[in-house]
Amino acid sequence: MKLTTAPEPDGRIGAMLSVEGLTVTFPALGSRVIDDINFTIEKGKTIGLVGESGSGKSMTSLAIMGLLPEGAAVEGSVSYWGEQLLGNPDSAMRRLRGDRIAMIFQDPLSSLNPYFTVGFQIAEAYRTHRGGSRRQARGVAVEAMRQVRIPDAERRVDHYPHQFSGGMRQRVMIAMALVCQPDLIIADEPTTALDVTVQAQILTLMSDLQDSTGAGMLFITHDLAVVSDVADSIVVMQRGKTVEQGTAEAIFSWPESDYTRALLAATPRLDDIVDLPEPLRGTR
Amino acid sequence: MTLLPYLSKRFLASVITLLAVIFLTFAVFFWLTPDPAANICGQTCTPDQIHAIREQLGLNQPFLKQFWAFLAGIFAGRAYGAGATAVQCSAPCIGFSFQSGTNVLTTIISRLPVTISLAAGAAVLWLLVGISGGMISAVKKGTWWDRGAMMVSLGGISLPNYFVALVLQYLLVVKLKLLPFPTLVPFSENPSGWFKAYLMPWIVLALMYAATYARLIRANMLDTMGENFMRTARAKGLAPAPILFRHALRPSLTPVVSLFGVEFATLLGGALITETVFGLSGVGKLAYDAIQSNDQPVIMGVTLVAAFAVIIANLLVDLAYSVLDPRVRVASR
Amino acid sequence: MAVSLSGTLEGGLADSPEAAGARGRALRTFLRKPSVALSVAYLILIALMAIFAPVLSKITGNDPYSFNETALDAAAGGIPLGHFGGISAQHWFGVEPQKGRDIFIRIAFGARVSMLIAISAMLITTALGVSLGMIAGFFGGRVDQVISRIMDFLMAFPALIFMIAVLSAIPQGNRPLLLVVVLSVFRWPATARIIRGQTMSLANREFVEAARASGADRLKIVFAEVLPNLSGTVIVMATLAVPGFIATEAGLSFLGVGVTPPTPSWGQMIALAVPWYSTDPMFFAIPGMFLFLTVFSFTILGDNLQRWATGATA
Repeated sequence: MKLTTAPEPDGRIGAMLSVEGLTVTFPALGSRVIDDINFTIEKGKTIGLVGESGSGKSMTSLAIMGLLPEGAAVEGSVSYWGEQLLGNPDSAMRRLRGDRIAMIFQDPLSSLNPYFTVGFQIAEAYRTHRGGSRRQARGVAVEAMRQVRIPDAERRVDHYPHQFSGGMRQRVMIAMALVCQPDLIIADEPTTALDVTVQAQILTLMSDLQDSTGAGMLFITHDLAVVSDVADSIVVMQRGKTVEQGTAEAIFSWPESDYTRALLAATPRLDDIVDLPEPLRGTR
Repeated sequence: MTLLPYLSKRFLASVITLLAVIFLTFAVFFWLTPDPAANICGQTCTPDQIHAIREQLGLNQPFLKQFWAFLAGIFAGRAYGAGATAVQCSAPCIGFSFQSGTNVLTTIISRLPVTISLAAGAAVLWLLVGISGGMISAVKKGTWWDRGAMMVSLGGISLPNYFVALVLQYLLVVKLKLLPFPTLVPFSENPSGWFKAYLMPWIVLALMYAATYARLIRANMLDTMGENFMRTARAKGLAPAPILFRHALRPSLTPVVSLFGVEFATLLGGALITETVFGLSGVGKLAYDAIQSNDQPVIMGVTLVAAFAVIIANLLVDLAYSVLDPRVRVASR
Repeated sequence: MAVSLSGTLEGGLADSPEAAGARGRALRTFLRKPSVALSVAYLILIALMAIFAPVLSKITGNDPYSFNETALDAAAGGIPLGHFGGISAQHWFGVEPQKGRDIFIRIAFGARVSMLIAISAMLITTALGVSLGMIAGFFGGRVDQVISRIMDFLMAFPALIFMIAVLSAIPQGNRPLLLVVVLSVFRWPATARIIRGQTMSLANREFVEAARASGADRLKIVFAEVLPNLSGTVIVMATLAVPGFIATEAGLSFLGVGVTPPTPSWGQMIALAVPWYSTDPMFFAIPGMFLFLTVFSFTILGDNLQRWATGATA
C-alpha cells in the first residue's frame, strides 16, 4: 500500500480548516485560556502556532479535535471543509479523528501505550476507520513505518515502544498519524523532546511527507526557529490571544510586536526575557 | 532467549525461602510444643509409655538431628520408629499424624478438591465484582455511584467473614429459607446442589477480596486514565469501549495479577474461617480440627503446604509478569 | 483477614510550606466530613467503654464472668428469656444463652483486650518498621540488603496460618502478649517497606545533604532530619494498621487460638454464638456489629488520613 494524496472531497471548496473567533473558557475557574483565535489552513500548507507554554496553543489543537478537558466551554467556529465541528456530537468527531485529522504529540514515550506493540498502535486507527484483518493491519503498519524511514520495519513492527530510541519513537507517532492519509495533521511540539540532530531529521521527514501527501499541517511549537523552515504562515500567541499573525516571511522580516521580537531574539532562553504566565495544567 | 539466568536465580531464591520456612516451622514446633510424646500417647499414658514413645520416635534426639530426619523425610521418605511397629511415610513425607494414624500429606491432598472448589469459585466472583466495580467507579469518578461503591468497599474490607457467614446463614437459610444449609454433594451427582452448597461460602470468601480489588482497580484505572497515551487513543478516533477496555484496563490489570496469584495460593492453604463456619471439609477445616485436637503434625503439615503454595505462586507471578508487562519481559532478557 | 488498602503512599507526601498550610485547612474540612466525624465519635465511645469497663460493671451490677440463670429460659434449652436475646433494663444487650453472662459488660471488657492488643501491636510495628525502614533506606548497601531480605521473607510467608500454628503450639502463657508479638512480627515489613522508600528519596534532598556536609552524626541526621519529614506517613501507616490488628486478633480468637476464656474478646464471643445462630441471632449480631463498626471506623479514618496526607482531594 502506498500513501498518496487523498482525493479532494466532492463539492468542497474553500479552506480545509477555518478557525474563527475560537474562544475557550473554564467557567468554573473563571479563566479564559484562548481568546478570539482566527486562522485558516489550506491543503498542503502549514500554519505555525507559536507561543510559550501556557499561551493556549495546545488548547487550540484540543478544541479543534473536540478533546478539550471536562468543564471547558468553547465559542466561535471551527469548520472543516465547511462542516461546523464545534458542538458536533462525539460520535461524529470520532469519525474525523485519526482519519481526516490526525495528531502527533510531544512526548512519544508517554504518548504510546507501553503494553502494545508499535505495529498494533500504528494500525489501530486504520482498523478503526477502515476495518480489515489483523494481517492487513500489520501490512499497513509496516508500510507506514517504511514511509517514516524506520529501518527494518518488518521486524520492528512487533516491538514495544520502550525498545525504540526517542527519534524512532517520534517516527512511530508520525507513522501513526499518517496511516489513514489525513487531510490535516496537528503536530503538537513534535520535536521538543528530541535532541537537535534528531530534531532536524524529524523536521525534514515531516516536510517531505507533507509534500508527498499534500496534507495540511498545524505545527505547534514554542520555538520560532523550528517553524521557520516548515511554516507558510505563522500565528504568534501569548496568554490565549493572538499577538501577531501573517506569512512566515513577514513575521521573520518585520516582526511587529515586542513579544515576537523577543521570541525571535531569544530562541534558546525564552524564559529569561518574557515574564511567563503560570503554565496551564491539564493540557498535558 | 536469555530469560534463563533470571529464572534460575528466582528459582534458587524460592528454594532457599522454602528451606527457611521448613526450618522455621520445624523449630517453632520443636521448641514450643511441651511434649510431643505425651501428645501422641494420649491422656491415660504412664510416664513409662511416654518414655518408650520418645525413644522409639527419636524425640529425645538433639534438635538438628531431628530436623535432619524431618528434612530427609521430605526428600526421601522416612520411617517412624523401628521394627514391626514402624510406620512408613514415603517421600515427600511432611509428617505423620499418630492421633488419626494417617499420613499428613495424603490427608491434605484428599481435602484439596473442596478447598480448590471454594477458592476457585470465590475467585471468579471477586474478580468479576471487583474489576467491574472498580472500573465503573473509575469511569464515574466523583459521582454518587463512585462514593457509594467506595464506602461499601471499605465496609466489605472491614467485615469479618465469619460474621458475614452467620448473617447470611441466618437470613438466607433460617429466615427466608432461600437456600438449604450447605451440605456437600459431588458436582457429578448433583450440579445444582453442589452450586447451592458452595454459593454462600463463595460470597463470604469473595467479599473482602472483591472490595480490595475494586479499590485497587479504581486507583490503577484513574492513574492510567491520566496517561498521555489515553489522549493518543482518543485522538485516533477510538470509541469509548476500546479506549476503556484496551488502553485503560490492560495497564490497570497487570499489577493486580501479582496480588491475585499470591492471594489465591494463600487460599489453597485453606480458607480456615470460611471452611470452618460452613463445615466444608477442606484443608482449612483440617487445620482447624487439628488445632482443636492439638494434632501438631497436621498443623505443621498444613503450614508447610500453605507456605509451599505461596512460594510457588510468587515464582509463577514473576513469570506471568514477565509475559504480561512488555517492559519487564525485555528488561529481563 | 488483614486489611489491605491500595498503598498510594509510596509516591511520597507533599512537604512544602504551602502544602503544610493547605494540609492544616484540609484537616479541619477532614474532621467535618460526616463519615470521618461519625467514625471518630464511635471510636471515642468504644475507647470510653473500654477504659471505664469496671465502672460500667459497677453501675449496671453485672460483671463479665458471673452466670445468671434467672435470665434464661430453662424449658427452651437455656436461651435468654424475653425478646432479642434477653434485652432488658438490667441486661442492655441481653445475655448469653445457657450461661446468662451479661453481653454488654463482656463487650466492654472485650473492647479493652482488643484495643490493648491492637494498639500495642501498632506501637511495636510502627517503632520497628520506622526505625528499620529508615536505617535500610538511609544507609543502603549491606544493611539495606539484610533488612530487605528479611522483609521479603516475612512478606512471602503464609502469615495467618503460621500465626495460628505458633499460637496453637503455645497453649498457655500470657495470650495478649503473645498475640502482640506474633502480630507485630508479620506486620512491620509493610511499614518498613514504605518508610524505606521515602527515606531513600529524602536522603538526597538539600537539607539532608546540608546536614551531612556539616559533618553531623549520620544516625542523628536520620532521626533529626529525616524522621520529622516522615511524620505524615507514619501516622497514616499506624492508623491503617490498627483495624488489621483488631480484625486479625478477633479472627484468631474466633478460631480459638487467640484470647482464651474466660477473658472476653469479640471474636471469641462470636465463636461462642455459632451454635446458637438460628435460635438466638442477637448473640452473634451484637459482638459482630461492634467488631465490624470498630474496624470500619478505623478503616475510614485511615483511608481519609491517607488522602489528607498525600494531599489528594475528594
